[in-house]
Amino acid sequence: MILTADRVRKFFVLFFVIGFFIYLFGPLLIMSVTAFNSSAFPRMAPFECFTVEWFQVLANDDKLVEGLRNSFFIGIGVVLLAVPLGLAGALMLTQVKERVRPWYYTIVISPILVPGVVLGISTLLFWDRIGTMFGASRESLFYDGFFLTIIGQATFISAYTMLVFISRLQRFDLSQEEAALDLGATHVQTFRKILLPFLKPAIMSAAVLAFLASFENYNTTVFTIISESTLTTFLAGKVRHGINPSISALAVIIVLITLFGAALHEVLKRREAAAAKETIRIVKGEQAHRKRATPFMLDPAVILILLVFAAGLGSAYLAGTVGVTECKAQVKAEKIQRTQERIKQREARAMFRNAPAASEAAGQQQIQSADKSERAGVSQFQSIFSTGNLQEQAGTGDDQSEAEAPETESEESPPAGTENFNSIFDPQNLNKQVNPDAAQ
Amino acid sequence: MLAYWKNFFRKHGAALSLFLLVSVGFWIFMMIILPQAFMLDFSLRANVPPPKWGTDAHHYTTEHYRYMLYGSAQSSDSYNFVDLSVFGRTILAAIFVTLIDLALCYPVAYYLAHVSRGGWSRLMVMSLIVPFWVNELLRAFAFKIMFGSNGIVNDALIWVGVIDQPYDFIRNSVALYSGLSYAYILLMIFPIYNAVESLDKNQIEAARDLGSPWWRIHKRVVIPHAKPGITSGCTMVFMLTAGALAAPQILGGPSSLWFTQIIYQAFNQAGNWARGSAYAIILLVVCIIFVLLMMRVFKVKLGEIAR
Repeated sequence: MILTADRVRKFFVLFFVIGFFIYLFGPLLIMSVTAFNSSAFPRMAPFECFTVEWFQVLANDDKLVEGLRNSFFIGIGVVLLAVPLGLAGALMLTQVKERVRPWYYTIVISPILVPGVVLGISTLLFWDRIGTMFGASRESLFYDGFFLTIIGQATFISAYTMLVFISRLQRFDLSQEEAALDLGATHVQTFRKILLPFLKPAIMSAAVLAFLASFENYNTTVFTIISESTLTTFLAGKVRHGINPSISALAVIIVLITLFGAALHEVLKRREAAAAKETIRIVKGEQAHRKRATPFMLDPAVILILLVFAAGLGSAYLAGTVGVTECKAQVKAEKIQRTQERIKQREARAMFRNAPAASEAAGQQQIQSADKSERAGVSQFQSIFSTGNLQEQAGTGDDQSEAEAPETESEESPPAGTENFNSIFDPQNLNKQVNPDAAQ
Repeated sequence: MLAYWKNFFRKHGAALSLFLLVSVGFWIFMMIILPQAFMLDFSLRANVPPPKWGTDAHHYTTEHYRYMLYGSAQSSDSYNFVDLSVFGRTILAAIFVTLIDLALCYPVAYYLAHVSRGGWSRLMVMSLIVPFWVNELLRAFAFKIMFGSNGIVNDALIWVGVIDQPYDFIRNSVALYSGLSYAYILLMIFPIYNAVESLDKNQIEAARDLGSPWWRIHKRVVIPHAKPGITSGCTMVFMLTAGALAAPQILGGPSSLWFTQIIYQAFNQAGNWARGSAYAIILLVVCIIFVLLMMRVFKVKLGEIAR
């Protein structure tokens, strides 16, 4: 193999592409792994025990279920509003005069390019003022979080659906409509019998797009939802106020649903392609009659996908529930042992501190080496948890999630939020304050 | 004009015409134009509690825009350095993130469209969609896990020996910028991919046969063809980054704010809706200017950007 400049370049490009895909999927993969780790802080290493308990925590979270339900209803509302609006917008584009068309297009497309925050604020303010004008009460529609959110989201989602319809309408043969009208069909009949069937695939994909866009919207929703909560506002609150692996568990579920949907979509596309090929063959006369197509749910590929997912879920559930308690007890025992060792070190250090200043230089050296063996943030919580406390918790190992949370904080350096205080609690700083002489 | 509408009704029939006019009218006026107009009006009025809205106390004033520039009258600074610097940093960071995404996506889009072949390429394009449907908040969460002081990135760097103490990625905004680039990367890659894919392979081969080196092929053939896609991707990424709220809330360090966070605080913590809407108007104007600039510089139409 000769090393030409061309080969080297190709190698680099391939390397780059692989790196790109790692960047794309790495974070999701890491997050997924943390969902199965029994550690109360979402982390990949050290991997303690394989568990599905975070999924159970997730399922028992009432606020999450409520947020999901609200998101679902808002999504349905947005579909019902944005699909007709997008359709009307797309049909209108073909009707307006040549001269006004660029202006019209600019206006209806602009919500896509306006920051979601701005849309949320303007919707909130506008309906508030309208409500005031009509003297409506605070319980009325104008102050209702659901109504405002649906309107606010539909503002830009209608533009998405409109784009879907425009691209489909570009392939519409206008002579079909004219033929129907010439043959005496009314306008409504033509619309219902000719245009709507032609647009049906576009309506379906526009509805899916609208629902998904609504479901994952945060920027607009956060302003319009007022006192209710949706999945995204719930998540935002949860992520900001402390992170725990049940959020990773939710991400795993979403990733799985996406993968599942993508796989089914691929099968559907292949079936359509195959059907089209067969039609061509029939037209050419190579095949006498059409084979009866297997129903979608009985397609071997679909069954295979379902089986793979079911097997994956089943084995994950088994592996995540069997033997978890034993594994956790072991990890806990190790932790207790480590903590005890640390406490012993600490006691030794305390003895040094109280000792007369005769061997000050030597003592200080030892203190510092002992300090370095610990991580910076540890000392702040250490004294709160005595050995006795820890053992008590280990005994009542049932209530894992609660018992573990404070403990991990003492074991590991604290989660991101407290990091800025690290230096305050630096052991060496403490020494300075407690015993100014020793620090000199 | 009247003749036009008469013709319109005759052409579509009463029911369909009414549906079209009511829907489009509601969308354009009640959802797009009037809310923005009301927001502009609201931002130009004094900040008074809701019961006094519409009374004399709710008079016109430019104080909120002046506040953005000069700060409160009590402060000793001549300009409102806090808000202005946050604003400037947000815009600069958004441009920075856009450039990173462009640099990452162009080679990959070209590779997917013209170098890789068959089912493999199809699978890769399809797999791009998966991260896109994972919620923005969850994507930010993934970066928080990765870049935490005990996260995998710090562990790896310590293991390799680059650093010996955990590096605070959150505080130094590394996590925020990577999270933002990650969050909107697909809005960069798909437009570029679509544009590059429509390029006839023969054009590239002809250029190669005529002895053009690879960089000149890109400069003269591929990039001019992909220009609408590149413009579209850059505009979308810039807008979404400048208007992002979730990622800065989750990944932002304690001392670094995003401009949208200031707006959010004005609404939810300070209770100053008027100032919040004034700032929202400022953000909107910047975004409009940016789109116009992109259209002018790259000579593309709006329809090519928003696709």
